[in-house]
Amino acid sequence: MSLLTFTRGEICAMNIVTTKLRRFAPRRKAHVIPGFGLSVGVTITLISLIVVIPLLSVLVALSGISWREFWGIVTDKMVLHAYQVSFVCSLIAAVVNCVFGLLLAWVLTRYKFPGRRILDGLIELPFALPTAVAGIALTTIYADQGWIGKIFAPLGIKISYTQVGITIALIFIGIPFVVRSVQPVLEKLDSQYEEAAQMLGASRVRTFFKVLMPELLPALLTGFGLAFSRGLGEYGSVVFIAGNIPYKTQIAPLLIMGKLEQFSYAGATSIALVMIVIAFILLFSINFIQSHMNKAAKNN
Amino acid sequence: MYVEIKNLSKTFGNFTALDDISVSIEKGTLVGLLGPSGSGKTTILRSIAGLETPDSGDIFIDGKRINDTPAGKRGIGFVFQNYALFRYMTVYDNIAFGLKVQKRDKKYINERVRELISLIGLDGLSGRYPHQLSGGQKQRVAFARALAPNPHLLLLDEPFAAIDAKVRKELRTWLRETISKVGITSIFVTHDQEEAIEVSDRIVLTNQGKIEQVGSPLELYRKPATPFAAKFIGEGTTITGYFQLKGFSQEQGYESALIRPEFTQVFKQGKSLYPHMTNCGVVQSSFFRGNSQELHIDVQGIRIIADYSLEEEAFQIGEPVDVIVSRLFLLGDDQVLAVENQNLKNVNTVVI
Amino acid sequence: MKRQIKANITKILLISTCVIFVGVMLVVPLASVIVYSLREGWQVLAKTVMDQYTIKALQLTLYAAAIAVVFNTVFGLFSSWAITKFRFKGKNFLSTLIDIPFAISPVIAGLIFILIFGRIGWAYDFFNSHDIKVVFAVPGIVLATIFVTFPFVSRELIPLMHAQGTDEEEAAALMGAKGLSVYRRVTLPHIKWGLLYGVILCTARALGEFGAVSVVSGKLRGKTNTLPLHVEQLFQEFHLTASFAAASILVVIAIIILILKNIVEYKGKKEDELHVR
Repeated sequence: MSLLTFTRGEICAMNIVTTKLRRFAPRRKAHVIPGFGLSVGVTITLISLIVVIPLLSVLVALSGISWREFWGIVTDKMVLHAYQVSFVCSLIAAVVNCVFGLLLAWVLTRYKFPGRRILDGLIELPFALPTAVAGIALTTIYADQGWIGKIFAPLGIKISYTQVGITIALIFIGIPFVVRSVQPVLEKLDSQYEEAAQMLGASRVRTFFKVLMPELLPALLTGFGLAFSRGLGEYGSVVFIAGNIPYKTQIAPLLIMGKLEQFSYAGATSIALVMIVIAFILLFSINFIQSHMNKAAKNN
Repeated sequence: MYVEIKNLSKTFGNFTALDDISVSIEKGTLVGLLGPSGSGKTTILRSIAGLETPDSGDIFIDGKRINDTPAGKRGIGFVFQNYALFRYMTVYDNIAFGLKVQKRDKKYINERVRELISLIGLDGLSGRYPHQLSGGQKQRVAFARALAPNPHLLLLDEPFAAIDAKVRKELRTWLRETISKVGITSIFVTHDQEEAIEVSDRIVLTNQGKIEQVGSPLELYRKPATPFAAKFIGEGTTITGYFQLKGFSQEQGYESALIRPEFTQVFKQGKSLYPHMTNCGVVQSSFFRGNSQELHIDVQGIRIIADYSLEEEAFQIGEPVDVIVSRLFLLGDDQVLAVENQNLKNVNTVVI
Repeated sequence: MKRQIKANITKILLISTCVIFVGVMLVVPLASVIVYSLREGWQVLAKTVMDQYTIKALQLTLYAAAIAVVFNTVFGLFSSWAITKFRFKGKNFLSTLIDIPFAISPVIAGLIFILIFGRIGWAYDFFNSHDIKVVFAVPGIVLATIFVTFPFVSRELIPLMHAQGTDEEEAAALMGAKGLSVYRRVTLPHIKWGLLYGVILCTARALGEFGAVSVVSGKLRGKTNTLPLHVEQLFQEFHLTASFAAASILVVIAIIILILKNIVEYKGKKEDELHVR
């Protein structure tokens, strides 16, 4: 490649610079364990190729349009509404998942009962089941003639093709995140801890909220963040049940898909950028909570 | 000199771990690197091993500069603080690892490993995994693993830290004997003065990235070079106003003094034979120390700790006593002055 | 006595709530796929499963997943080694970068490859002049799958190797062991179950990836249709039974993966308890 050809003079100059640098720079750090250069090199190369460069392409693609155009696209009424639907449904789903996720984690770690291992194994079903399969299955059973939709239809409650349906799909997809975040913390939390609180006369409810909750909160928040973040971006399991009705059940990922189908790349990319920024904020918050968790764990 | 360290410096961020340190170690000796945590002792050890790269300075082994020799090629055996035994290998495989890396032939490996297993007294346990061993046994395996490839130098990082107190004493003696049997030059790190005194031929005392003193345990005890050395080795209390004690006068530049329990003698009131050396004191508290009685005595506002034989008649708290102080270490800014009781010199014809 | 009964009632109540939740939310959808796919009998199911487009789609899905899993396993081995065994500047940043594909919508994952290799993309001219089609072709599907499953193996290995520390590797290196030998003899025994677990999760996600692949595929039947896309197409065309029949293949794979995952997890845990104490 032309970028990598240097003249002999340039190479000489670089050698001089590097030898000079070497003299002043602190000596190379000792890496007793072999493979530092190779492993870091491979890691950075692959991350650049697969993650960084592709993501930067979003900015490259957007460099062609003006700020006003961008603002116009992302504040379009339909777009804002799609964000709102995505946000509200993900939030409700994540909250529901926190409640049931905590309950499941509790039951799985504190009680012994027949079928516990099966119940435990089933938690990861949403990870293992392809999202499209989950999507068609949920749509069908929550449709008016479906197994569950049938029960609600006579009451005038529609689930498929409404925001309720979207939320249910997001609960489905998000439940493992909460359970798997909370479960290890609960497992490590000695039951002596609760016993101590009860010996001191605290009621069960009080023990739970005053003693256990503070310990579990970071893990629960992490699980919440992961489920919420997954919900915002989820496509496969919601695309069918949502029905993509503008101003009603159109969610952000579906909107991007729609723009792409109309070959409106600027539109799709602008909406995507907003979602990427939100995703990054969530990612950094989760990492922040987790690093705090690790620090707290070390202090103990 | 077998191991020579010249002008070694190392910083971690803005923490100075080693500040221009030079020290040399003779062949065949067992050297204890002693100091409080953060004093740089572990950094010295890890630098010799090649686990840490010093910012500046040179390290020589047998006259050869080894700074640029990779850790694995320095011919050093290293015993890690928490053993770092390979958890997924048996005792046998752990010890054989270094030999396998060197691609020795199978027969030799087998012989060498058997020899070491019997050296560490674990015959019959060669098929066990580390989790099936006690702390002391793990330590012995780590020791044998480090010795297996016949290193020129053995480094041990806090070898007794992770072992419970009872086994520790026994292991100390064992390690000392085994090392002298093998005859390998060894350096070990410890923060425990008792351990250093008991095990090492020579002690290198470190503090705040500098070396305070190098010498035999007895030298460090008898002739501490710095106030830090005086306080760190042995027991003692620091007092001011030492010149109020009979037989001592104020020396220029020495504000305080260190007094050791073994420098003091306590008598029932009126039983002291040398009234001109005797200070009057009051027993404030006493503790049973297993093999002696520790007395805290107030001598004119100076608090002195003394040991008292259990064979003698016990003291009551509040009881007035006679106290004779025979020696003091006067502490200057940077130096220590050992002074004898002046009055004692005059009566040295009398055998106590 | 009264307290004991109360505790038992709470226990039963909590367990039943959980069982009902998991039943309704997770098991019913799973069961529905099987039931719906059998609605018109075995023959219809067999016909759809043996349909050439279904088989072609399955082949493509397996092909893309296989490449993605191998690629991401290699990445996982190198990146976890780099991140857990050394201290260097920018390590935390690097480790956050690995997580990005988890945080981003699969639709965006597809979009970014359109923005590179699509008609408007900056790399389009180069690849077009060499007659390589990336987007709306198999390479695009593979790339999107790799992106979406990128962190799986390394995310499993990093905490595991972090907890293990670097002592054993240092000890081995001090005795002169070379890189590969250290890895094979000292590190690998520690992480083998974790590695397998990561590979299984990665496989599951790669086989089921829908959003990202849907954007870059072009959905040409028999050519660029993966099995999940095929399921979607049949569903959108109101071939419900056929759609569920195709989905049942994925369900069977998912169940197998789930069982494997649990076995591996159990074995890993057992071994861990044995050696790490």
